Amino acid sequence: MNTSMSRRSVIREWVFTVDHKKIGIMYGVTALFFFLLGGLAALIIRTKLLTPGPDVVSADTFNQTFTLHGTIMIFLFMIPMLTGFFGNYLIPLMIGARDMAFPRMNALSYWLFLLGGLILIISPIFGAIPDAGWTAYPPYSVRSPGAGIDLWISSLHILGISSILGAINFIVTICTMRAPGMTWNRLPLFVWSSLVTSFIQLFGIPALAGAITTLLADRHWGTVFSVPSAGGDPMLYEHLFWFYSHPAVYVMILPAMGIVSEIIPVFARKPIFGYRAVAYASVAIGFLGFFVWAHHMFVAGMKVDAGTPFEISSMVIAVPSAIKIFNWLATMWRGANVYTTPMLFVTIGFLGLFTIGGLSGVYAAAVPVDMHVHDTYFVVAHFHYVLFGGSMMGVLGGIYYWFPKVFGKKYNETLGKWIFWLYFIGTNLTFMPMHFLGLAGMPRRVYTYDPHYTLFNQIATLGAYMLAVAVLMMIYNFVHSALRGEEAGANPWGDAQTLEWTISSPPPAHNFDTIPVVTASPYEFGVSEWVKKEQHSIQ
Amino acid sequence: MGSSFWLPQPITDLAKSVDSLFYIITWVAVVIFLLVEILLVTFVIRYRRKHPKQEGPAIHGNHRLEIIWTAIPALILVVIAVISFPLVNKIQTPPKDSMEIQVTGRMWSWEFRYPNGVTTYNELRLPVGKDLLFRITSSDVIHSFWLPEWRIKQDAVPGRETQIWARIDKPGTYEVKCAEYCGTNHSQMLAKVITMNDSEFDAWMNEQKKKAESQGVNGQQLVQTLGCLSCHSTDGSQSVGPTWKGLFGSKVTLQDGSTVTADEAYLKESIVQPGAKVVQGYSNIMTPAQLNDQQVKAILDYLKSLN
Repeated sequence: MNTSMSRRSVIREWVFTVDHKKIGIMYGVTALFFFLLGGLAALIIRTKLLTPGPDVVSADTFNQTFTLHGTIMIFLFMIPMLTGFFGNYLIPLMIGARDMAFPRMNALSYWLFLLGGLILIISPIFGAIPDAGWTAYPPYSVRSPGAGIDLWISSLHILGISSILGAINFIVTICTMRAPGMTWNRLPLFVWSSLVTSFIQLFGIPALAGAITTLLADRHWGTVFSVPSAGGDPMLYEHLFWFYSHPAVYVMILPAMGIVSEIIPVFARKPIFGYRAVAYASVAIGFLGFFVWAHHMFVAGMKVDAGTPFEISSMVIAVPSAIKIFNWLATMWRGANVYTTPMLFVTIGFLGLFTIGGLSGVYAAAVPVDMHVHDTYFVVAHFHYVLFGGSMMGVLGGIYYWFPKVFGKKYNETLGKWIFWLYFIGTNLTFMPMHFLGLAGMPRRVYTYDPHYTLFNQIATLGAYMLAVAVLMMIYNFVHSALRGEEAGANPWGDAQTLEWTISSPPPAHNFDTIPVVTASPYEFGVSEWVKKEQHSIQ
Repeated sequence: MGSSFWLPQPITDLAKSVDSLFYIITWVAVVIFLLVEILLVTFVIRYRRKHPKQEGPAIHGNHRLEIIWTAIPALILVVIAVISFPLVNKIQTPPKDSMEIQVTGRMWSWEFRYPNGVTTYNELRLPVGKDLLFRITSSDVIHSFWLPEWRIKQDAVPGRETQIWARIDKPGTYEVKCAEYCGTNHSQMLAKVITMNDSEFDAWMNEQKKKAESQGVNGQQLVQTLGCLSCHSTDGSQSVGPTWKGLFGSKVTLQDGSTVTADEAYLKESIVQPGAKVVQGYSNIMTPAQLNDQQVKAILDYLKSLN
């Protein structure tokens, strides 16, 4: 085969593909590339903060760096990874469908995501880097000179369209394309959480789109949405922004919770404890998620007691998360648990660290305490425990768990465990000290700080470097295993029961030779109690 | 400055009340944290697959447990919310006849205006034993007025007045920090707070009044207190705004390519109306300074002295 032929076939196979699995893989690879960029930004931030004084980079570069870090990690990594990669790859397989409901629209979603991402990351080439933080509050973002914020707005608009198309596709696929017998009560919990996630995207993104449009209009068309002297109000943007961006936190955590719910039963060889409770808790989180946004604004100029309804709703939304934690623990209880790399990531990793992120959220939800911790490193610690200790652990557990399915090869288990422990320790070293820095009085997004915060900042930076090493090892692990790994077979975990494990690894283009007929829930593990007793009495 | 890794010493009654709530939440959080982590570690160690064929029991759930671990966290959280309500009320209800201090945040300094008109920059002196009400606003972007030892924080929002009150009983030195990201010098937007006995405070205030009335307005002092120097260097080095070294009388190239001479009229315009003629290579981000003629003249004299 000559090169032009093979090049054409690569184009045909990937660029023009409408196969949900290929689109999923493209999402995953692109998102991981952005993760490396976002991680590089994090390393620059942490390297600067090794010392209290102005150092390493200029203040403006520092501000641009944390803006890119936040925007990339949220919009170009975590959301596309969970919905684009895991959602796309797994949902049709898990519900027994041959593809998504709208395959071409699915491809469009991916290409819009790539376009939106490129528009953001080319900003350094033009020397116009957004510098207003990932929240881009006006009037600062309106006054910020250069095209940086305009690129940021354009990028988010395009990513928003991509996500809305994706959400419609998931909702229609899940509602109409389930295999015969796949009732709502047999739906894998990852699919449940993805369904809720899609509704959040569909209802939330328009608010964000509206918010950033006011910025664009104020910047270029002389409108006065955030100009107080003309009757505008900067708080309008904050309300619209958080109306989407708080639910966006649940977009980033619910699919990860779904992954946890898939992995624990398989390695515990026990049914998920309280299937309905776990599924309905996702629905509750999705619904309540739209009623908590103003807890980001307790000190933003609202009347202090206007915060109390949001304090209550923010407390209430912790309950469904607690329900899930207890159900997962109960699934592990008396299980035949085996600690493979994915199991380590979702139990000691996700369960252990998300709990910390959930509890620190209670401080920020209580209006009087939030008066102190708001906009400090305590909040930075809180949301990194949720998104890095929680979501990211779920993502990594999920990548290890479905790696044999996607590539048809087994990964190196010993290396995987080393990576987990390095990652687990690195995460805690990086983010645990930030709680104390925040309580002691270090604001977030600062370029310089009081020298007596130096020690804890250095510990955090050390942890960040450790994470960088873990990430490099992980890349080696994946690339090496994908090329040289042992053949995985259809079901390397032995008895995983969701439908993707009933077909070859990697799955054929059309997924299923015949559409399966589903007769049971995917969590029918374990021996019933009376069988166990019988066995005992026979012995 | 207190501890570098825990809450700083609370110095007002309000701060102590906030801390009580903080510790209640902390006790609850520690108990739940230990419960979850101990169960997790116990299950990880205790329930391991001992032989390859081993399976767990087919337990699908338990309604009673489900209700218990829904109701108990819900109850605990509601109790936390309810006990915070009186405190919320206390925070938002300033005592009558408080001494009102107008706080204005700007890129990147704090302005404090006392009821008698005396104004200070980046230095806030307060009498002990008096109820104080801070009325907070901003002249440009959003800032946040934070006094960590006092546990109070309110954003400074342009076009809006937020308020927060406090009462302190001991003399001491503290710091105002800007908690809301506001650009290049966000981390340097600090103000010193000095709380003093009544008599000392009155003496200081009289001195300030005299200073304001007396003829000698010192340009160099003024640009320092106004925070001008956080953007303009006086030694020719690059910064957010054009340097002042050798500025007076020099030819300046503007954004539209035209040139002007930096004479008194141009400099005065640039101080009170910075957006009128913007220098090439710089952005129009300066806030107009509200100064009287005498103050402007003092600054111009200072600028001349830099040649």
